[in-house]
Amino acid sequence: MQPTAPSTPVPAQPGAGRPAARRGIRSLRRREALTAYLTLLPAFLLVAAVIWYPVTRTAYQSFTEWNGAVSTWVGWENYQRIVSNGDLWLLMRNNLIFVASVPGILLISLVVTVLLYEQVPGWKFFRSVYYLPTILSAAVVGTLMRIMFNANGVTNNALERLGLGALQHDWLGQVPTAFLVLIFAFYWTTLGQGVLIFLAGLAAIPSDLLDAARLDGAGWWNRLFKIIIPLLVPAIAYFVLTNVIWIFVGLFALVFTVTKGGPGYATTPFDLMIYRKAFESGELGYASALSVILFCIVLAIAAFQLRMFDRLTTDA
Amino acid sequence: MREAQTDSDQGGAWQPRSPLERVSRLGIMLVLSLIAVIAIYPIVFMGLSSFRTSFEYIASPLGWPDSFGYIDNFLAVYLRFDLVGLFRNTFWYILLASLLTLAVAVPASFTLAKIHFPGRERLRAAMIATLIMPPVTFLVPSYVMMARLGLIDTSAPLVLLWAATATPATIFLLSALMRSIPDEVLEAARIDGAGYFEVLFRIALPLSVPGLVTVMIFNITAWWNDLLLPLVLIGDQDKTTLTVAVASIGSRFSMDFPLVLTGLFLASMPPVLAYIVLQRFIRRGLVAGAIK
Repeated sequence: MQPTAPSTPVPAQPGAGRPAARRGIRSLRRREALTAYLTLLPAFLLVAAVIWYPVTRTAYQSFTEWNGAVSTWVGWENYQRIVSNGDLWLLMRNNLIFVASVPGILLISLVVTVLLYEQVPGWKFFRSVYYLPTILSAAVVGTLMRIMFNANGVTNNALERLGLGALQHDWLGQVPTAFLVLIFAFYWTTLGQGVLIFLAGLAAIPSDLLDAARLDGAGWWNRLFKIIIPLLVPAIAYFVLTNVIWIFVGLFALVFTVTKGGPGYATTPFDLMIYRKAFESGELGYASALSVILFCIVLAIAAFQLRMFDRLTTDA
Repeated sequence: MREAQTDSDQGGAWQPRSPLERVSRLGIMLVLSLIAVIAIYPIVFMGLSSFRTSFEYIASPLGWPDSFGYIDNFLAVYLRFDLVGLFRNTFWYILLASLLTLAVAVPASFTLAKIHFPGRERLRAAMIATLIMPPVTFLVPSYVMMARLGLIDTSAPLVLLWAATATPATIFLLSALMRSIPDEVLEAARIDGAGYFEVLFRIALPLSVPGLVTVMIFNITAWWNDLLLPLVLIGDQDKTTLTVAVASIGSRFSMDFPLVLTGLFLASMPPVLAYIVLQRFIRRGLVAGAIK
C-alpha cells in the first residue's frame, strides 16, 4: 500500500478498478483515519485546554477591566491607555535596547569561534569553559550578577583595588548602567551557545576552500569577512532570530532577578511588565492587552523568520 | 613563502612553524584564556564565597576564604532552605511533566509522521503554530481557570502547563525524526498483523530513542530553569521549585551574601554535573536546530 490520493471518490486509481476491492481499501482507510484522530486527541486536548482556550480568553479580557472575579467591558480603553500613558514606548525601548545588543554578542561569538577554529592547544577545553555559563539557569545568573554589581560588590571592589575608584557606580540603581549589567549577563550566558552553533557551521565548510583562499594570499580578516561569514549566514540567521525572539519572550527570569525591572519600570521588558501588571497591581485586563500586543510582535518576528529561512534554504 | 606556509598548515600541530605564526598563535591563546577567565570567574566567585563568613565577605568581597574548613553556609542552606525538599519537589514536577509530555506527544508524532488521513497538514500546522505562543500571554487566564477549578494548591497546574508548552516542540522534532524511518519497515510489520501501537512501540520508538533523549534533555533543562510558571502557579513556599527558591533567597537574605551565594552554587551543581555527563547529547541537540 503506497500513500495515494484521499479516500473521497475523486480520480479512480488505475488498477484499483474493482468496486469490492475499492470498498475494502476505503474501510481500511476509514479505520486508519479513526486511529489517527484518536491518537492525536490527547495532545490536541491538552494544548487546546491549556493554551488555545486561555489565549482566546486573553484576547477577550484585553477589552475588559478585570480583577480575576469581576470583569466589565471597556472596549479599546486598555489599548488606548497603553499608547497614551507611554507604556508601549517604554516597553519597546527596553526590548529594543536588548535587540540592539545582539550584533555585539554575534561579533564576539564569531571572532571567538574563528580563534577556536585555529585549534591552538587546549581549544576543546576553552570550548567547554565558554559553555559553562550557558548551563546555569537565568535565575542563578541574575542573582549572581545582582550580588556582583551591588554597590558594595566585587565589581566596585575590583575597580578600587585597580586604582580606578572613580569608575565606581551604583550599577543597578541607575538606568544606563543597569542595562549594561543586564546586557553583560545576556552576553555572558550567550557566548557558549553562539560558539557551539558557529563551530558546527564551520565544520561544514570544506577546508580546501579556506586553504585555497590562504594560497591566494587572503589575510585573516579577509578570510573572516569574505568566506567564513558568508558561508555561516544560515547559522548567523538562526542565532540572531532565536535570540531576538528570546528577548521578547524569555527575558523575564534574568531581569526579575537582576533589577526586578527597576528603578521604577525603567528596565522592565514586555514579559516582566505583563507579570507586574497582573500579579503585582492586579490589573488583569491591562495585562491581557499587553499580552495581545506582545503576541502580535512575536507573530511578526516568526513570520519574518519563516520567510527568511525559506529564502536561505532555497538559495543555498 | 606561501608554499612553506601551507606545508606547515597541513602538517598539524607538530610541524615547525614560522616565528610570526608562533607569535600569532600565542596571541590567540592569550585572548582565549582571557575570555575563559571572564566566563569562569563568576562561577569561581560563587564557589569561593561559599567558604567565607559574612564578615570576611564585607571586609573584602574579592578575597580568598580564610579556611576551606568553614562549612556553616552549606549547613545553613541545607537546614534553613530545605534544599533536599526543594530538589524533591522539582524532581517530581519534572518527572510528572515528562511522563505527560511523552504520553501525549509520542503517539501524536507517529501519527503525524506516518499515518495518512484527511486534515493531516492542517493539524500539523496548528500544532506548529502553537510553538510561538509565549506562555506569559496565556498565563493569566490559565491561572484564573485553575483557581476556579480549585487546583491552585496542587501540582496539577504547573505540570499541565509545563507539559502543554513542551508538547508542540516535542511533536515537531519527534515527527520530523519519525518521518525518516523507511515506510517499508513499518509496512512489513503491518502486513505481519501488527497493530498501530505494536508498530509504534516495537519499531518506530526504538528507532527514535537518540532523538527522544535529546528532546527530553531540552524539555527538562527548560523546566529546571523556568521561573515564571512555578512562581505564579505555586503559592506555597514549601511546594515550590529550586529555581523559584533561588530567585527569592536573593531578596529574603539580601544582606548575607555568602549564604545566598552558597545557595546559588549548590543549585547550579545538578545542571553542571548533568552537562558533564550528557555533553554529547546536548551539543548535538543544540546544533541540530542550527543546521536545518
